[in-house]
Amino acid sequence: MHLPPWFWFAAVVLITWGVVGLLQKLSTNCISAESALIWLVVGFLILAPVFYPGKALFSYSARSLVFILASAAFNATGAWALLAAMKSGGKASLVVPLTALYPLVVVLVAPLILRESISLLQGAGVGCALVAVALLST
Amino acid sequence: MKLASLKSRWFLFSILCVLCWGAWAMLAKLGSREIPAEASQFFFAWGAVPVALVLLAARRWKLEKDFKGIGYSVANGILAGVGGWALFAAYRTGGSTSIITVVTGMYPLITVMLAVGILRERLTRLHLLGLAFAAAAFVIFSY
Repeated sequence: MHLPPWFWFAAVVLITWGVVGLLQKLSTNCISAESALIWLVVGFLILAPVFYPGKALFSYSARSLVFILASAAFNATGAWALLAAMKSGGKASLVVPLTALYPLVVVLVAPLILRESISLLQGAGVGCALVAVALLST
Repeated sequence: MKLASLKSRWFLFSILCVLCWGAWAMLAKLGSREIPAEASQFFFAWGAVPVALVLLAARRWKLEKDFKGIGYSVANGILAGVGGWALFAAYRTGGSTSIITVVTGMYPLITVMLAVGILRERLTRLHLLGLAFAAAAFVIFSY
């Protein structure tokens, strides 16, 4: 078995975001969705000094900075849309599996924008993973 | 899915979420080509602030004072931040954006297992089938 270089980083994402899924449920039992998102951003800011890049802060291109800042805004807006969907009467059993399919957008768009391609076997893996996400989110 | 569902507000919000998170993953990959994972997560935290401010203004600058809920949410942000850093780091290894996004998108796998262990929720047959598909995906990606 050969593990690719990104595997262990992906494992950290899976574990931390897996716990986040549980905390989201616990937090929205106590406070509103909007408040939960606002305090989540406070958590981001508490952690920010740990990742402070020092003198390199002003050395990156405006283009890359725009990409990162816009990605954060899209991420937060997506989280709000998920909570708004639930608040608008959407059942969690429908909203969660539907929104968990966002990697599908990446799979469809990445070959066009990033010029990346995947093998047939990797494509089968992507299919299995998307089915798994849909089933686990029900 | 019925036509009425497609026109309902929750469905449109869900589609907005899918599109936003798709854009988030693509832009994160593009930005992380130049900016290291740690610095990316530093800027990411500040990029989410305007959205939080808009929501705060929508709530007329008032928040609930439930310390348990606040504690869970702040912990949520810290853990999500660590996960965000790891995602930037994974993208910077040069691996396929599609594969990394799909693998990390399987985080409900952990949530389901924790919900069973901590919240005493029960696994359905669909969950078990999902776990089998997730295991198959991991085996495929490890080759």
